[in-house]
Amino acid sequence: MKTIEILTGPAADLFWPGVIAAVAIAAQCAALSVLIVLKRLAFLGQGITHAAFGGVGIAAILGLSAGAGFVVVAVFCVLSAIAVGALTEKKKVSSDTAIALLLVGSMSLGAILLHLRLTRIGPTPMAAGWESLLFGSMLTVEPRDAMLAWVVACIVAALLFLKRRPLLFWAFEAPAAEAFGVAAGAMRLLLLTLAALAIVVSMKLAGVVLATALLVLPGAAALQLSRRLGVVFALAIALGEVGVLGGLVVSFETDLPAGPCIVGCLAAILALAWVIPTPKAGTLPGTAGKFLS
Amino acid sequence: MPTEINSNPAAIEFDSVSYTYPGAERSALERISLRVEPGERLGVLGPNGGGKSTLLKIALGMLTGYRGAVTVDGEPPLTARRRGRIACVLQKCEAELRFPLSVRQVVQLAATQRLSPWKRSNGAARDDVDRALELVGVTDLANRPIGAISGGQLQRVLIARAIATSPAILALDEPTVGIDIEGQARFAKLLDAIHKELNLTIIIVSHDVRAIAAGCDRVACLARTLHFHDAPQGLTPQVLAEVFQHDVAGAFGEVHVEAHTAEDCPGGHVHAHEGGQSS
Repeated sequence: MKTIEILTGPAADLFWPGVIAAVAIAAQCAALSVLIVLKRLAFLGQGITHAAFGGVGIAAILGLSAGAGFVVVAVFCVLSAIAVGALTEKKKVSSDTAIALLLVGSMSLGAILLHLRLTRIGPTPMAAGWESLLFGSMLTVEPRDAMLAWVVACIVAALLFLKRRPLLFWAFEAPAAEAFGVAAGAMRLLLLTLAALAIVVSMKLAGVVLATALLVLPGAAALQLSRRLGVVFALAIALGEVGVLGGLVVSFETDLPAGPCIVGCLAAILALAWVIPTPKAGTLPGTAGKFLS
Repeated sequence: MPTEINSNPAAIEFDSVSYTYPGAERSALERISLRVEPGERLGVLGPNGGGKSTLLKIALGMLTGYRGAVTVDGEPPLTARRRGRIACVLQKCEAELRFPLSVRQVVQLAATQRLSPWKRSNGAARDDVDRALELVGVTDLANRPIGAISGGQLQRVLIARAIATSPAILALDEPTVGIDIEGQARFAKLLDAIHKELNLTIIIVSHDVRAIAAGCDRVACLARTLHFHDAPQGLTPQVLAEVFQHDVAGAFGEVHVEAHTAEDCPGGHVHAHEGGQSS
């Protein structure tokens, strides 16, 4: 089996950071995907992932290090999501138009700035590897990227736990949540910020074009399989891990790029979940309330 | 910035409150003075666009930038809302009903909002949830998925969600929209039972004469400006229709209020006090 050979062979050190990062990325993206799917923010997630490419362009033109670049890309993603929200709220344009604008605008900005960096100023590591940022590459994931993925996963987990009650209330019914004292705007910003952070750490592995799959497919599949909130979150994380690690195995075995293999596996899981009958709308077990305790 | 009144024993007090939405030419509310006593059931009746929801949003602290002064349970509206002193059922349920939540969890979402994130739901919160579910008669639905109940049951659950927070004031915005006559009668009984059991102050805003007549001690007619009418048990819709024509026609043109049978709203009279207040 090529996977075992690769992960135990002389070049194993090149691949292990990607695998270790993948475990953290799959878990955090899957947990967020439940809320993103339920709030129907999948297209906004797509917009934010593409906005990351614009952020990469800005970091590249400024000649920033990887650490500073990470911050710039994350901030750019969050600001882009806020801009979409502001445009939509003021009814200047519809939500899908605003997201489409963000999507193509960020990709164009990133392409222009990277071109300027490479042709007029001189390459930096981030700018030179821009193609791998589009579709992802295992080999570009370094040990510090894996560490960052775990740090962000811990932050996402901690904030989801601490804000679980207002976040779920807002996700269930934002106007009512606000009337009951939940800061609805802050909850939206929190979810988008966490999604932006998850996207930034996923970029090298899955690429900006494909990272959306991590933020949508596990949650969509889990929601097909259960009507219990706690089970949905646990299933999403489990399915996310299976999809991402399964995708890596497929990638190792077939010498195909990791990003598309991961997306293929996650899509296959969702297709399977559609085939399995959805639980009927009966009575839930009596312990259904415990997840919110 | 609006000024606030302190140390006021009223459940809700509006003192000469006016509000104009940004960009609007005309005010939505004009010099509204209103006092709701603790334990009272006040119905605010008015046509669409008459400012009923605006009034409620101000009481809930969801709209600021008004002129005049407002207190809710002796505090500024936002403070009262954040402390859970006022709870509401909104006119339009915008809940995501495919959310994988049970009826109990939906009620629990509100009841546990103010708990520390480190604390698990305590016995008191669980008791509040159980009592609220029982009071609105949906205990047997507690473990059903929220998307698997009827519209009428959902309305009861939303009322349970509000009273599970142990508020002093319950605000209901157009609570009988889309409910048939039998459902409205059941709703009136439910509200009466809640009032008797919890001694809540209840404020209902509606354009529906029947909803107001059946469940309120006092009625205020609102069409940008406010007119009070003594309206104890049993105002007749016919009389109320006359009041409406009289009070609202100037601002909104002719208002048609459907006249119902005496059985719907048993006898009694409403006395209109032109251009001012009485209670």
